[in-house]
Amino acid sequence: MATGRGKGTFPGGVHPAEGKAISESRAVEAVPPPKQVAILLSQHLGAPCQPLVAKRDKVQAGQMIGKSESFVSAPVHSPVNGTVKDIALQSHPVIGRVTAILIEADAEGNTPQTPVFNRFDHTFSPEPFAVETICGAVNDGGLVGMGGAGFPTRVKIEPNPAMIKEVLVINGCECEPFITCDYRLMIEGTWQVLAGIRLAAKAAGVEKIRIGIEDNKPLAIGAMTEAAATVKDIDIAVVPVKTKYPQGGERQLIRSVLGKTVPTGQIPPTIGVCVLNIATCAAIADAVVLSRPLTHRVTTVTGHAIAKPGNYYVAMGMSVADLLDHCGGLTAQVAKVLMGGPMMGFAIADLTTPLTKTSGAITVLTQDDVTKAKYEKQQTPCIRCGRCLTACPEGLNPTKIAHAVKFNRMDLAEQYYMSACIECGCCSFVCPANIELTGYIKTGKILVARAKKRMQA
Amino acid sequence: MILASAMEMIHNALPAAVLALGLATLFAVVLLIASIKLRVETDPKVEEVYNVLPHIDCGACGFAGCASYAKAVVANPELIGRCSPGGAETSVAIGRALNLQISGGGAPSRPIVHCRAHREDKLFHAAYDGIESCTSANAQPDVQACHFGCLGFGDCTRACKFDALHIVDGLSTVDYDKCTGCGACAKACPRNLIQMVPFTQDNMMTVACSSRESGKTTRTFCKVGCIGCGICAKQSDLFTVADNLAKMNYESYAPSEATQTAMDKCPTGVIVSRGQTAPADRQPGQKAAAATA
Repeated sequence: MATGRGKGTFPGGVHPAEGKAISESRAVEAVPPPKQVAILLSQHLGAPCQPLVAKRDKVQAGQMIGKSESFVSAPVHSPVNGTVKDIALQSHPVIGRVTAILIEADAEGNTPQTPVFNRFDHTFSPEPFAVETICGAVNDGGLVGMGGAGFPTRVKIEPNPAMIKEVLVINGCECEPFITCDYRLMIEGTWQVLAGIRLAAKAAGVEKIRIGIEDNKPLAIGAMTEAAATVKDIDIAVVPVKTKYPQGGERQLIRSVLGKTVPTGQIPPTIGVCVLNIATCAAIADAVVLSRPLTHRVTTVTGHAIAKPGNYYVAMGMSVADLLDHCGGLTAQVAKVLMGGPMMGFAIADLTTPLTKTSGAITVLTQDDVTKAKYEKQQTPCIRCGRCLTACPEGLNPTKIAHAVKFNRMDLAEQYYMSACIECGCCSFVCPANIELTGYIKTGKILVARAKKRMQA
Repeated sequence: MILASAMEMIHNALPAAVLALGLATLFAVVLLIASIKLRVETDPKVEEVYNVLPHIDCGACGFAGCASYAKAVVANPELIGRCSPGGAETSVAIGRALNLQISGGGAPSRPIVHCRAHREDKLFHAAYDGIESCTSANAQPDVQACHFGCLGFGDCTRACKFDALHIVDGLSTVDYDKCTGCGACAKACPRNLIQMVPFTQDNMMTVACSSRESGKTTRTFCKVGCIGCGICAKQSDLFTVADNLAKMNYESYAPSEATQTAMDKCPTGVIVSRGQTAPADRQPGQKAAAATA
C-alpha cells in the first residue's frame, strides 16, 4: 500500500464561524469534586455495562463499578469516594434514558483530582511497557474514543492479524466550532499527549505517526512539532491541515494527511490506518503510566450565555447543572444548551444529564445565536442549487437522499448511499432553503435499521 | 356530378380499405394463435379467493397485497385468518372458496395506544422545531421530558390507510369505528406505544402508559402516568407490575368487579377503557363516581 502525501485538505466541507476565542486562552482548571455523580452504564459504542456494585455499597475513587463481558465495550469507574445511592434511569445526552449508578460523594476525604501534565516530560520512553500491558491498562481504564463516537480504544489499538496497521493518525483538528479542550491539552499537556501517542503506536505496531492539526492553531502546531522532534525511534511528524469543518472526521483527516481514501462502508483499519483523538492519547498515558482510569476529562464550557467560560478538568458523572453553576451560571439570554459543539452537538433540556466520557464541550447559545444561524425559520422547497453537493465531504447528493426519505422511498435512499453519510451537518448548514437535510438522512437511517430488524425477527 | 366524385373517392380509398382489412385479419390471427399458445393457467380458486378479499392492499397479512395473499392462501390454507381488515367474515368466505370448514376465528385485533397524556398532562416540553415526524423527534433524546410517551407528530396517522388514527391534542387516538386492525400504526411508532390486542369485548380495559421510570420521576413530568404503585395488582390478578409499570394480561382477559375497582382506585387514572363505546377517560384526581357513571 503506497502511502502518498496528503494535500492537507479534502473535497467539500464548510467554514462555520469559529467562536474559539471565548475559551481558547483559558488554562485548564480543576473543578472541585461534585456532591453527587451519576455514572451512565453506556458511555461508549457497544454493549452496556452491568453494575458491579449494589445499593448502599461503599466505593473508592477509581474503583471499577460497571463492566461488560462483551468484546466491544468499556468498563466505567467511580470518580469519587462515596456511597452508591441508587441504580436508576438517567438522561443520556444522545440515546435517551439509560441505567446509571448514582453515587453520593463522601463529605470528607475527596480531594479534587487535578490534571497530571507535569508528570511527563521529554525523558519519557515507551520501552518499559509491553504491548499486553498497554492494551490491558487501556481496557481496564475504560478508555474510549473521546472525540465523540466513544468507540472502545482497546479494540482500535489491539494488534489484529486480520488488519495490520501501518500508520497512526492523531486527530488534533478540533474542527467543531467553539470547542477548545484538545487545543488546551496540546499546549499544556504536550508531553502527556506525546507519551500517550507513543504508547498507542507501540501497541498498534505502526511504523509511522502523523499528527493532523488545523492551521488555525499555530501554538499547538508549534508545541507538538517541538515535542515530536525529540522522538528519534519512530517516524513521527506534525501535519498542519486546512481549517475546515469536518476536518476532524476520521475519513476526512486520513484524506488530508495521507492522501488515501477509506472505501465507502469500510473502516480505516482496512487501509492500515488507526485514528486516535488527542484527549484519548492523554488518557492512554494516564491509564498506562499512572494507572489512573478514565474518570476525569477536560471539557470546554463555552458560548455567549455563560458567565465564566473556560476549559475545566471535571469528573465524569457530574451533572451539567452542577458544572454550569461552577462556571458562574447561565446568563439571562440563554436559549439552548448543547452537549458538544454547535455542528454535531445534541441539545439537552434536562440539565441533570451527567457528563460522559465523550462530552468534550458544553455550548450555551443565546437567542441571538440561535436565530442568527436560522435567519429564516421557514423551510422552503429545494431550489436545486446544488450547494449541499459541493459541501458534502463524502461526495453524496444530500438533497436526493433527503427527498427519498421524505417520500418514504428507502430503496432509492439506499441507492444514493444513504449509509455512507457521516452526519456532519454540512448540507443543512449551507442549505439556502433551510431544509433539514441531515435530519432527514438520520431519520432515514433509523427507519431502515428498524425495517431490517423487523425482517430478521 | 356528385355521384361521379363519390365513385372516385371510393375508387381511391379501396386499396387502403383492403390493406386495413387485411392487416386486421392478420393481427387477429396472430393474437388468436398467441392467446392459445401463450395461455397462462390461472387457478380459478385464486380468483375466487381474491374476490372475497377487501382489495385494499394494506399489507397486514404480511404479503405485498391482496392478490399475492390470495395466491399464498390457496397454496397454504394455514394462512387463513391473516386478513385483519376482512376479519372473521373474510376468513369464512375464504374457507368456503377452498371448501374448508372455518369457524369464526379469534377476536379481531385492534390497536391500543399505551399513553394517555394529552398536551396539558405532559409537563416540561422542550421547544422542538425540527422535522415534524416522531422518528426524527425521537432521535433527539430531550424532545419531551417523558422518554416513553406519545410524541404526537403523527407517524401513526400517516401510516393508517383507513383514517382511523388521529392526533387529538397531542395524543394518538384510535377511531375504533374505522379501524380494521391492519397493524400498520404499531409498526410506525418509534416508541412502540401501540400494541395490537385481541378485542374479546367491545371495550377493553388497559394501562395507558409505557413509562418505566420510577413513580417519583414519572410524577414530575406527567399528570396521568403509571407510578407502579401496585394497587391494581392487589385488586385483580389480571394486572402485573414490573419495572415501575402495570400491565394488563390480555390472554386471560376477563373484566370483573375486581378490575373495575382497580380502575376506580388507580391514583393517576391511568387504567382506562378503549373501544367503540368506551367511556371518556377519568381526569386525574376525579373520583370513581364520575368514572362509573
